Amino acid sequence: MARYGMALDYKSCINCRACETACKAENGVLPGRDNYRLWVGQKEIEGEFPNLSIASLTYQPSQCQHCDNAPCQQVCPTNATYYDENGVVRVNPEQCILCTYCINACPYDARYVDDRTVTVDKCNFCSDTRLANGETTTACQATCPTKVRTFGDLDDPNSDIAQLLMKREYKQIKEHLGTKPKLFYLL
Amino acid sequence: MKVEISRRRFLQGSAALSIAGGVSISPSAIMASAEASAKPEDIGKTKIVATLCEMCVNKCAVFAYVKNGVIKKLDPNPYFPKSRNMLCPRGNSGLAAIYDEDRLKYPLIRDGEKGSGKFKRVSWDEAYTYIGEKLTKILDEEKDNRSTVAFCAGEGMAEHTFKNFYIGFGSAHFLNHASLCLATTVSGYSLTIGGYGQADLENANYVIMAGANRAEAIITPDSMDFFKRTKGRGAKLVVVDPRFTNTAAKSDKWLGVNVGTDLAFVLALTYVVIKEGIYNKDFVEKHFNDFDTYKNHIISNEYTPEWAEKITGIKADDIYEVARDFMKHAPQSVYYQGRRTTWSKNDFQLRRAQALFSALGGGVDIKGGICFGKKIPMTGHEVPSPIYDQAEPRIDSTEAAVVGGSGTWVGFRNKVLEGRAEYPIRALFNYKHNPMQNMPNNVKTAEFLKKLDLVVTIDTMPSDTVMMSDVVLPECTYLERTDPAKVYGGIEPSIVQRNKVVEPMFESKPVIDIMRGLTQKISRSLFEITKKYDEEVQDTIKEEGEEVAYEEFDLTKAFESTQEELNHHAVAKHVGAAESLKEKGVFYPNMDKWFKKLNVNEYEYYPESEKAYSVRNGKLKTPSGKVECNLSSLTKRGIDAMPTWKKEYEMIIPDGQFRFVTGRHAQFTQSGSSNNKMLLDLVPTNYLWINKRTATRMGIKFGDELEVASKVGKTTIKAYPTEKIGPNTVFCIHGFGNHSEALTLAYANGGNDSNIIEDSIEPMHGATCLHDTIVEIRKV
Amino acid sequence: MNLSIKNLITFNKTPLNLLVAFITVGLLGAFVAGAVVYFLHGHHAFNVTRQHPWGLLIAMYVFFVVSSTGLCIISSIGHVFGVKEFQQIGKRAIAGAIITICSGFAVIALEIGHPITMLIYNVLTPGLTSAIWWMGTLYGVYLCFIILEFFFLAVKVDHKWSKIFGIGGLLAGLAAHSNLGAVFGFLVSRPTANGVFYPVYFILSAMITGCYLIYLIYGFKYRNNYPETLKPMLLKLNKILGMLLGILIFFEAWKILTALYGTMPERAETILYAVTNPNFFIGELLLGMLIPFFIILISNGQAIKPMVYASLTGMIGIFFMRYDLVHDTLVYPMTMLKRSEYQLPPTLLHYFPSPAEMAIGFGGIGITILGLYVAEKVFNLDPDPEH
Repeated sequence: MARYGMALDYKSCINCRACETACKAENGVLPGRDNYRLWVGQKEIEGEFPNLSIASLTYQPSQCQHCDNAPCQQVCPTNATYYDENGVVRVNPEQCILCTYCINACPYDARYVDDRTVTVDKCNFCSDTRLANGETTTACQATCPTKVRTFGDLDDPNSDIAQLLMKREYKQIKEHLGTKPKLFYLL
Repeated sequence: MKVEISRRRFLQGSAALSIAGGVSISPSAIMASAEASAKPEDIGKTKIVATLCEMCVNKCAVFAYVKNGVIKKLDPNPYFPKSRNMLCPRGNSGLAAIYDEDRLKYPLIRDGEKGSGKFKRVSWDEAYTYIGEKLTKILDEEKDNRSTVAFCAGEGMAEHTFKNFYIGFGSAHFLNHASLCLATTVSGYSLTIGGYGQADLENANYVIMAGANRAEAIITPDSMDFFKRTKGRGAKLVVVDPRFTNTAAKSDKWLGVNVGTDLAFVLALTYVVIKEGIYNKDFVEKHFNDFDTYKNHIISNEYTPEWAEKITGIKADDIYEVARDFMKHAPQSVYYQGRRTTWSKNDFQLRRAQALFSALGGGVDIKGGICFGKKIPMTGHEVPSPIYDQAEPRIDSTEAAVVGGSGTWVGFRNKVLEGRAEYPIRALFNYKHNPMQNMPNNVKTAEFLKKLDLVVTIDTMPSDTVMMSDVVLPECTYLERTDPAKVYGGIEPSIVQRNKVVEPMFESKPVIDIMRGLTQKISRSLFEITKKYDEEVQDTIKEEGEEVAYEEFDLTKAFESTQEELNHHAVAKHVGAAESLKEKGVFYPNMDKWFKKLNVNEYEYYPESEKAYSVRNGKLKTPSGKVECNLSSLTKRGIDAMPTWKKEYEMIIPDGQFRFVTGRHAQFTQSGSSNNKMLLDLVPTNYLWINKRTATRMGIKFGDELEVASKVGKTTIKAYPTEKIGPNTVFCIHGFGNHSEALTLAYANGGNDSNIIEDSIEPMHGATCLHDTIVEIRKV
Repeated sequence: MNLSIKNLITFNKTPLNLLVAFITVGLLGAFVAGAVVYFLHGHHAFNVTRQHPWGLLIAMYVFFVVSSTGLCIISSIGHVFGVKEFQQIGKRAIAGAIITICSGFAVIALEIGHPITMLIYNVLTPGLTSAIWWMGTLYGVYLCFIILEFFFLAVKVDHKWSKIFGIGGLLAGLAAHSNLGAVFGFLVSRPTANGVFYPVYFILSAMITGCYLIYLIYGFKYRNNYPETLKPMLLKLNKILGMLLGILIFFEAWKILTALYGTMPERAETILYAVTNPNFFIGELLLGMLIPFFIILISNGQAIKPMVYASLTGMIGIFFMRYDLVHDTLVYPMTMLKRSEYQLPPTLLHYFPSPAEMAIGFGGIGITILGLYVAEKVFNLDPDPEH
């Protein structure tokens, strides 16, 4: 059907972490410890006061990259991790045996153990919450104050995301590993 | 402090907590109470209610999703032009505010020593009666001097409801956070360019933000509009801040200024543009009043960049560059006004200098500059505002040059404590306001509150101030009430309304209901005191009878209608407004025609031609109709007529000591959200920023407990060594280290800046100087 | 087969035997205690985290299955490849292989979150691209084969069938074991693990482990008073072990050098951390490889008693090899960015097993020792007369 991805205008990110909070509220992610589907990465600033490098403090919103060639899907012994009809990488908690091989195999630190089901969990583009209710935005996208995120169908040439990717240059994370991630960081 | 609370445990049972008058309850009981309010016909369905957030000042529009009486999610509501279809982390965390186990649930009366935290639960009736009895006694003793009772309010949509009680009561003392926040910048810009205005950050091309940390102290629509355009995508941002904030991370240039020396920077910028003649000469000729005086003042004082470099620590080359770049991009250039501008004694002059410099570019009342925008007229409603003969004038007007209707809180408090008050201050009504946390030097605030015979606090959470009160009245959270419709003017004005999402939990009530109940109980008995001492009233009674006389003093009149009725009435002249406000929470004329979706994220509210960029028609709202360079009328009150640098503005930091500054992160709103579970999950506690090299020298590592001590007190806080702050400056965010044990998550969590900030005030409005504190640090 | 209880609890109460019995009971008790803690707290009883999801239990599982495969390979030298001296150790070695793999399964059963789900869905919805699926399935097949092989060796003697299942077991074991190596070798996310090294190294390491275990088992049984028929086997084993250790040292040396050379990010830092860690240079290198190797070299392959002791250090070294395998491949975090303001920048991860992990992991050794003891008592593991 569709092929969902997300474009991130990451230079607009102000590291307010609204996306983290909205994701937790929408998807019932437990507070504390290792429990987070999204986060905003930042480096330690380079330089010494007052000569500090502004560029070294770019904020990088991060989450599951929904790779088209996902290592986590390849290594799952029970196919609990699978691609749904929209190309979203999903986890079926009934089939997950918690071997955590997928957590080891993911190059992006996207996965963690969900204490609610004691199985592996990660971002699923709100597929079982917002998308299942007929909405077309993810929680993180909707809440963002500076509208960093554009979620949509990569295969639809008229979608906002497809138009953005045609007009703007972008980079991806660790794509040299061959994972074919579907998150695009607009330059 | 560990905050490992799983939602499963939150939803399941645990032992009931009984701290401080039993305000805390078990997690399961709070959810059970929420579900109990569900109406039978709503079971199983999801209701969507349009409302407004109250987690901070912005009032972003929200859609609340309710299932079985429980609010499940707060989503952005795209209809409000100002909030631009988004919610920050606090907006999302409103869920943790309404379902906070520690929230106030029942009226309480103090049952032990003040500050001991011992309260007994009473009914509303008992609380009102107690207040009535105490007030009548106090007024009797003070011979109906209404000003013996002071009224404080925090910012909120229902502040004006509470104010109606204050107006009816007739006291001269209304105090709010203005003297702690934005008094100096509002008046600095208003007296200079005729209004505080709205910086048009959608179209400004060069913006200097000094201190205003818009990436962390989020303001709508500024934060939404501007950070999409920085980093080479259309607009240039220069950040002037002693700290490298998240805003600095978005800038093109960050200037690490010495604390409190911004004025020298602005004067130097002004010098450059005047000396080089690169300011907007056309605009100045048409719209500046007394420019030559100011020009001579700047040149003759030799406020050169070289002079400024020694004071501010900013390189002279940078000052030349910024000044020239600013004028190159003018008139779409803005020296951003800022908001919480309580820094140092020269605040007012600094904001004046900023306004003058910004105006030199011509960016006033035009697209891409500072705009004044339009308002949408609403119908007000009459409230009794009687005159009490015996009411004395306010006592804090002596503490600064111009003390307005919001007073000077610290000036007021200190005058009382120092025994200089012209008459006793006996009572305080406190709404949505937490002076124990927000005012500097909380030892003095505690002393002040202890001195008062009656402290009535209306709040949602058992804050530090609640613990120092005599009567505590629980207001329901913003998700449980309908509040007054309000107009937000600007380039894209609109009227917004908060609609009740779920019924108030436990025995909490909206402030309008509290005021109604209270005035119904006490209005008559208070009038009896007036009758006793007020000769004017006695005459009126003789002439026209008691009922006629009482009409003017009937405090219940202001609260007769429900909030829904008042809102209906307020927008009656706009067709379709009431319905739009109920359904969408927002209304503006032609909304149906103009509101459209631009893409998956953004909406257009007003077409470009309808946006109110220029509204003054060439005549500013100043006495001369032009930009006022020289406010000579202020000199007789001891205020400089033009921004002037004084040697005393440079603060000497003794060796081995530090200057302390405070501020915010995007995850917290001052002290109001310090008990919020969802937000503490993001940032569990506050840390002290200290320069890495300084920390290494002092043997301080990340996470070490430090004791920070000033002249007025001390606090302990963990260390965060970072190069983002200078070697002689330290910083922590405000709102932590609460003293109230009833706030189970916030109690003793982190460091409390109200313990250590010295309480000096600036001379113009008596606004606090929050960055004028010197501290010593040691490892503990 | 002698199944009487009396037989099971009678043994020669020498000081060493009593010590070993005491340790075994202690370890079994620890295992039970660890299991109870795990049932109460789930994975929160362990120190595994989102960034370091595998820990001591995985390492011990690998330790046990490597031991099992090793014993199977050494045993097959006799029964499959027909080398006469090794035919006499066949039964004992296969018994050891069965027992160690069962200990491994006991340990991993307490690590896998949903073992029942695994049994169901590994069959219903197998992930055929998953090295863990292949490893798990093949080890299941392997276990069946070696049980059957043992059955036809010690219970109902039939050399034709034992040889068939012997070959099947060996092949299944080799396949399963190299897939276990591929569990790490296939990881795209971990540059130190990715590649050909682990699948091949595992087989090599298994053979070495097998040799050490043969020395330990026979050394403990005969206390340096070996029957004459056994001595040639032990001396041949010396030479085999020497050659294998030589290959291993060479292999590891080049792996380390190629990883350090050129300082490729992620890979060079990890290997540098690994080799400068005492786990490696004392545990793996000194105890696991160098001491046995030098004893073999110095004694020209003639020492037996010293080799038994060297095998003890060798097994400790083998344990560290397994532990470092798991820890070193996880030590470099996948993201080196901070995720909140108030934290130190990420460094190489710290991990130390929790008490529950140690109890379960080392408790598995108690299961092995108990198993070997019971097998010794119930079955006749010495060679049959016709051999």
